[in-house]
Amino acid sequence: MIGSVVLTFALAFSLLSMVMYFLNYRGYKNTLNYARIAYHGMAMLVIVAAFILWYSILTHQYQYKYIYSYSNNSLKTGFLIASFWGGQEGSFMLWLLLTSIVGIILQSYASKRGDLEPRVMAVFTLATSFLLVMVSPWFKNPFEYLWITPAFINVDHINSSFLNLPFIQQFFFTDQSTNQGFIKVNAELVAMLKSSGVAVNDFVINGKGLNPQLLNFWMQIHPPILFSGFSMATVPFAFAIAALMKNDYRDWIKQAFPWMLAGMGILGLGIMLGGYWAYEMLGWGGYWAWDPVENSSFIPWLVGVAGIHTLLVQRRSQAKKKGIGKYTKTNLVICILTYLLVLYSTFLTRSGVLGDASVHSFVDPGMIVYLFLILFIGTFALLGFGMIAYRWKTLNESIVADEGILSRELALFTASIVLIASAIIVIVGTSAPLFGQSVDTFFYNEMQLPLAIIIMFLNGFSLLIKWKKSDTNEVVKKSTYSAGGAVVFTLILVIFGGVHEIMIILLTLTTSFALFVNLDIAIKIIRGNMKMLGAYVAHTGIALFILGVIGSAVYSQHQDVDLIKGKPTKAFGYELTFTEYHPIENNTKYAFNVDIKKDGSEYNLKPIMYISEFNNSLVREPAILTLPTRDLYLSPLGYDDGNQSNANGKSVSVALGSEFDFNNAKIKYTEFIRPDISAMQSGGNIQMGTKLTVSKDNKSYEIIPMIKREGGQFEYVAAELQEANLKIEVKKIDPGSEQAEFIVSKLNDNGADKIVNESNEVLTLTASIKPFISLVWIGVLIMVFGFFISMARRLKESMIIS
Amino acid sequence: MKNKYIFGGIIIAVFLVLMGYLFTQSNIEYADDFAVVKTSSKTVKATGSWVKEKHYEINKEDKTFSFILADQNGNEMKVIYDGTIPNNFETAKSVVVTGKYQNGYFHAKDILTKCPSKYEEQNTKTSGI
Repeated sequence: MIGSVVLTFALAFSLLSMVMYFLNYRGYKNTLNYARIAYHGMAMLVIVAAFILWYSILTHQYQYKYIYSYSNNSLKTGFLIASFWGGQEGSFMLWLLLTSIVGIILQSYASKRGDLEPRVMAVFTLATSFLLVMVSPWFKNPFEYLWITPAFINVDHINSSFLNLPFIQQFFFTDQSTNQGFIKVNAELVAMLKSSGVAVNDFVINGKGLNPQLLNFWMQIHPPILFSGFSMATVPFAFAIAALMKNDYRDWIKQAFPWMLAGMGILGLGIMLGGYWAYEMLGWGGYWAWDPVENSSFIPWLVGVAGIHTLLVQRRSQAKKKGIGKYTKTNLVICILTYLLVLYSTFLTRSGVLGDASVHSFVDPGMIVYLFLILFIGTFALLGFGMIAYRWKTLNESIVADEGILSRELALFTASIVLIASAIIVIVGTSAPLFGQSVDTFFYNEMQLPLAIIIMFLNGFSLLIKWKKSDTNEVVKKSTYSAGGAVVFTLILVIFGGVHEIMIILLTLTTSFALFVNLDIAIKIIRGNMKMLGAYVAHTGIALFILGVIGSAVYSQHQDVDLIKGKPTKAFGYELTFTEYHPIENNTKYAFNVDIKKDGSEYNLKPIMYISEFNNSLVREPAILTLPTRDLYLSPLGYDDGNQSNANGKSVSVALGSEFDFNNAKIKYTEFIRPDISAMQSGGNIQMGTKLTVSKDNKSYEIIPMIKREGGQFEYVAAELQEANLKIEVKKIDPGSEQAEFIVSKLNDNGADKIVNESNEVLTLTASIKPFISLVWIGVLIMVFGFFISMARRLKESMIIS
Repeated sequence: MKNKYIFGGIIIAVFLVLMGYLFTQSNIEYADDFAVVKTSSKTVKATGSWVKEKHYEINKEDKTFSFILADQNGNEMKVIYDGTIPNNFETAKSVVVTGKYQNGYFHAKDILTKCPSKYEEQNTKTSGI
């Protein structure tokens, strides 16, 4: 309740601040102080609301639906804090929180730069207002009570001492398929509890907890970083609109520049951490799957990075002489688009439109939220492009001289166009499900590959040519060493590294060219002016990243292996031995120990498997061995304890009366031999089984595999049939549906040729080799570092008022 | 300014043509009606729910998993997937299989399980006592 009230007040303050800032811009001088107070009031209230949510999570206030749905008593403190953003409501809350904090910094930044503050903050508070409406009690409110829409709460989550309250029975439900009991918690029950003096928070004593895939270290770090990037993307948008409001396009470039660099640096880091999380957790061996959720944060990043390059050109072209510089319109459009694409990304991932297209699952948030998201995007699109249209005449007045073919301006512009083209591919592919279409991932890969070649070429080439005009001979001379180095490097890879595809060879060539050019310049700069280093560091990082992508994506190999306990098995030159498994983390998970030997070195990996209580399904976590030139990646598939069958069998589930094939025999499940009901209830010895008719070579046989329970122990009595060379064991029979599960195997697989005491325990896993995957992470980290060096330099420049 | 438009224009034009071509090549349509899936010769994404009661099979030798999938209208088809049971398969609300229908079964190269998780309320079937 208190949380909702705080957020509602925050919304009022945000709107007030917006109006006051706008009035100040229109010339009412005395409103500026009110606007500032209102903004800081809003930000404080949002921070307070966030702390209320955190406090409520940490003290297990399950009367809030959000907390009941995404946390529970057994989560460790770190994950409890992270369950703040475990669901949709909380991730909007996180976005709002970070945007409010960014706004505090922005306000202070803008107030020191001429008359910037009222215009920038008027736009910025429009954004905070929309986010506040989003988390308000009418939409995605994290403080909604559990019973507002009746919820069925598992009895395990209810304090059992209240289950004998007289009125509970009418709210008690049972799921007949699982025999689980549920309490329907609605307003009526809450009223009755209240009159009996029972607080809801004492009644519901545990929550559902987090999805096991979110229970990863990076859950605590990746979302806040990603949302910081999203929040910071608001700022260049606000600067662009502010410039259009004033109809002055000179100063905003240098003012927006450090924000764009910092925002894209942080967003890039967030995207990379998401990829690393997927790599470490999901077990499919990759870090990027062109999944809509990944894509949707990648699109604004690509456009934003394109913007960094065109902002640089405008900044550069206005430095020498008076005037607004080149690419004014391009820069306005890009800064506006970057934020619009962040909003579009939110729309795609939060509106339920991609329901069938992603491994991330989304609830349909309801029509009203869907429409509100459209209104949100629509408002900002209309504001951005409306303002450009309104100022179109002035924008076209500034005619700038043509740049030479061999000018850095044109190279940077071309690079931006290619980056935007790359973004368009991702948008088209990601948005296809909106039109009932979808694309195979090769669409992205095939399209991005030629663009990456061009980008990498420009990455190196643009730094060798001069602003305005370059002398061809000089460029050729300057590029000799780098180009020569790149050719040698690529040839080595082609001859010794097995790189054969022409596109990959070209990409390797341009990437290594970019790498050498940047390293060359960077080394020269280190001896000189360090603050100029940013661009070269970032470009070196991206080149290393692309080399990592080439190695890990194109040349990774994988293979499924069955590891018999104690028996060394070779895969990719590594000798893998499965030794044992043991429970970890309070017996909730099992670690499967695999000893690894190669060239005299010994390693050890422990992939993990467990049945998650959250959704009763098997969760498999890979284990990774990081070596200097490659990762060995072991992703578990399954474990067979060897008690039921040999590994060459198959398990089938069939209904009474139906048939299946095995080893050229037809097997029909003809009768269910029911257990004695009274014995079953008294817990005595029982037996049940199935009658099967096996037909092979025109002969028919009858066999009866059984399940016996004696003294609480289950015994599976398999039926063997020499004539058909098969052995059938019945694993499970559902008395209701009469559906039965069998394990069928060949008899002679257990024959004399097998070593008698060889273990039947088998760990099946996918082993893969990922060459140079570490460069992917290292490259991105270096790139992000470069962004921040540049930001520091541009931040200083932005202080100078021209 | 001319060079800017020439360069940008050429890149965009080449790029759009290439993208249009690849889009038609890699395009996979959604097909929720299995009657349509069975007659289509193209790769499609079919959404359905697993018929747990009917025959399913985990073949360890060939590393395949086969099961019966039903669409909303109750049309059923056999699906054979090259791999083991995916995570969360047993509890999935619905599954999306990507592949082709050939020789009387749907050969799935990819299975996506839609689970009642992260952003979703668990809808529990309940009935009175």
